[in-house]
Amino acid sequence: MEDSPVLSWKVAGLLLGLLVILATALVKPFGVSTQYVVTDAIVLHNTAPAAAESNEYLNKYGEKSDWSIGYGWMLVFGMFLGSGISALATKRFRKRQTPSMPSMWREQFGDHKGKRLLQAFIGGVLLLFGARLAGGCTSGHMISGISQLTVGSFVFGASIFASGILTARTLYRKRSSS
Amino acid sequence: MKLLLGLAIGTAIGAVMQLGGASSYRKILGSLLLKDMTIIKLILMTIAVTTVGIYALDLVNMANMDIKPTYILGIIIAGLIFGVGFAVSGYCPGTCVLASAEGKTDAMFTLLGGLTGAALYAFVYPLMAPLINLTNFGKITLASVFNVTNGIWIAIPFSAILLLLVFRVLKDRYE
Repeated sequence: MEDSPVLSWKVAGLLLGLLVILATALVKPFGVSTQYVVTDAIVLHNTAPAAAESNEYLNKYGEKSDWSIGYGWMLVFGMFLGSGISALATKRFRKRQTPSMPSMWREQFGDHKGKRLLQAFIGGVLLLFGARLAGGCTSGHMISGISQLTVGSFVFGASIFASGILTARTLYRKRSSS
Repeated sequence: MKLLLGLAIGTAIGAVMQLGGASSYRKILGSLLLKDMTIIKLILMTIAVTTVGIYALDLVNMANMDIKPTYILGIIIAGLIFGVGFAVSGYCPGTCVLASAEGKTDAMFTLLGGLTGAALYAFVYPLMAPLINLTNFGKITLASVFNVTNGIWIAIPFSAILLLLVFRVLKDRYE
């Protein structure tokens, strides 16, 4: 069971807003999902260069000259570090050898680790397929896009919550037996 | 230098989001089940601050804006797919990175799934052209649609509405 967050939504929202403003002043607004493509491009250019070079979409991203990491990738890597550090500092780190299963998931679906990991994987495939089709995710579209008053970002926000709410309700409808 | 800047800003963002509970499956599903509004309030609070800040910077030409094109049909379909992934995994592309750093194994699988999904998209991208080209209105914002020169005049009332929502309207509902 997780405790309530260390920072309230007010403080976290204020700080996160200030950081996104800082990023926009110094470089550009903040976004995550493009970096999945950059990572794929780096991996594929090193493992299957022929397939990667002929791929129109992969060629749109990344540092074309040397297929290395850039500012945006370092930002996402920083997010990984920052989360790890704050989790350690507040003693919320979970042991890696225990496949984690959210307690509310277990109550609904039972103690099936493989099933949870499969769901997490498929969910990830859908997340990034959707994010790349839209051109951004919760960070790039929802936070940065809506903050810039981008019309498409409002549409994306409405669409993901409509679909997410419907899916969550379907998954967590009351069951007589599991 | 720019790489270090990215690392520094990212580290701060990751820490704030983790401390705010954004990497928690329970909090995200709670939001989608409309029982626990923490994450929705966190997102709306962030937007309320950011929109005024960005458009204030824009007044003095200091905002490096990046407006994404609005292709209604493609974005709606993308959002519907994303929403299913959001509820099924309990993460989003950023929060699964945060949760992976906390040692949550399911989030690592979402991260791997994400890399797979992005690669899948790269290979079917030519087929997606109609979804992107139909109903594409280009890089439009509320400011450009309503012909407002300084977006701050929309950002301020918009921010006020969001603050009203998070402080007065949205309430947690536990059964």
